[in-house]
Amino acid sequence: MSILRIEGIGGGYGSVTVLRDITLTLERGENLGLFGPNGHGKTTLLRMTSGLMRPSSGTIQFDGRDITGASPSKIVTSGLVHTQQGNTLFGDMGVAETLEMAAFTKRARAGATARLEKVYALFPRLAERRKQKSRTLSGGERQMLSIGSALMCAPRLLVLDEPTLGLSPRLKEELTEALIEISNSVPLMVVEQDVELLLAVTDRQVLVEHGEIVREITATNTPDHAEIVAMYFGAQA
Amino acid sequence: METLLATFVSGLVLAALYALMASGLSLIWTTIGVFNFAHGALMMVGAFVAWTVSEVGGFGLWPGLIAGVATTTVLGVIIEYLLIRPFYGQRNMVLITVMTTLAAMIILEKSAQIIWGARLKQLPRMIEGDISISGAVISAHEALIVVLAPLILIALWQFTNRTPVGRSLRAVGQNQEAAALLGINVPLTFALAFGLGAALAGLTGVLLGGIRFITPSLGSEPLIKAMIVVIFGGLGSLGATVGAALVIGMAEAFLVLTLGLYWTPFAIFLGLIAVLVLRPNGLFGRS
Repeated sequence: MSILRIEGIGGGYGSVTVLRDITLTLERGENLGLFGPNGHGKTTLLRMTSGLMRPSSGTIQFDGRDITGASPSKIVTSGLVHTQQGNTLFGDMGVAETLEMAAFTKRARAGATARLEKVYALFPRLAERRKQKSRTLSGGERQMLSIGSALMCAPRLLVLDEPTLGLSPRLKEELTEALIEISNSVPLMVVEQDVELLLAVTDRQVLVEHGEIVREITATNTPDHAEIVAMYFGAQA
Repeated sequence: METLLATFVSGLVLAALYALMASGLSLIWTTIGVFNFAHGALMMVGAFVAWTVSEVGGFGLWPGLIAGVATTTVLGVIIEYLLIRPFYGQRNMVLITVMTTLAAMIILEKSAQIIWGARLKQLPRMIEGDISISGAVISAHEALIVVLAPLILIALWQFTNRTPVGRSLRAVGQNQEAAALLGINVPLTFALAFGLGAALAGLTGVLLGGIRFITPSLGSEPLIKAMIVVIFGGLGSLGATVGAALVIGMAEAFLVLTLGLYWTPFAIFLGLIAVLVLRPNGLFGRS
């Protein structure tokens, strides 16, 4: 049985349609990557998956249960955890306090201490900055805190929106390694502009354009650099 | 020297009262981003209900206190549900809720007038007698307020900083979407914050009922004082609110001594404006 099944999802903001009939499935044991130009509906798709937005058509099933239109807190409780892009989380809260609080649902509270140790082992910088307020963290540290908080929710599927947005190449590399390590225990669905990162972290990638899935990449038809450029900017004459 | 001490003690009583008045208002503002204009009216309802249970019903002051706080808690949740919730997420939510909470204030005050009439009422004091601290005499009831206020505020701080539910209130106040994505039920948190803020208003009202006459407009002056304290401290944290209550309570006591009763409110408002000009985010606010 697939862990996530999105069928014919459509919708947008008011009268502006962003998504048109997206169908996606994520099988157990695979990690999925989504890429494509900005403003073509990737973030909207994630927001609908985590309950922040209601799709106007289609259904979403997580782990065999219909979660279409459910509240974000219900969806998190069931184990689908979404980390937003460029999130500053809670500016006035310290790192340790944020992580402790992130284990909020009953399911997440069980074993929270052990999970906290894992997060600190994965991101030693967070351990160094336990008492520091979120707003004083650097962009990379905030991203680590966001992902760390998501891990504290005991995810059964982790959905990440542009985890490396605006990070330096060195930090990107660090984060990529962390994501690969996370993917050993938690299935991932990652939206990212950086296709190289997706190829390193995920097993299968789809290109989202104009609110539709226009191409799928698997291990057998990996594109070269020129093809990726073409996907973003259109074919060169 | 004795005058100074007496003034200091009366400043302390004022500060304790102001901190209690403002704490509920501050809690609702930091969690929901709504300025609850019905906050003073809730104090008044708490005092009236306590008086009815205690004096008319003859059950005594403590059951009266519990009834008063319980009533305002329920009223707070109802106000949130009927007058705040329909407007969440709207662009002009702050302005709309100024109007709806003002409406709640008027409804509560007029209802109180119909139910309890305009005749002055007073609650018995929690503790009878006076306390003399080297010449400065205050009632034991006021002394109790000075002791009780810090305890209540410390309990509130512990709740919002140490317990998961309390932390979730702060999380929702700082980033609603991120809080929802951790599994926090945001609408429930709003109701909780409003109920808790209203409970604090009710408690303050019952304490006020022992030192002031209870009338339908009992809450008007405390509402304004609470607003001054919250804005002066810097909209945000409980600590800032408590600090501002201390500064304003003390300033008021010493201004009454030096400038007199007549000019004191004027001087306090002038001080408030000066602080906001120099520090737009309040005395203890982050710039």
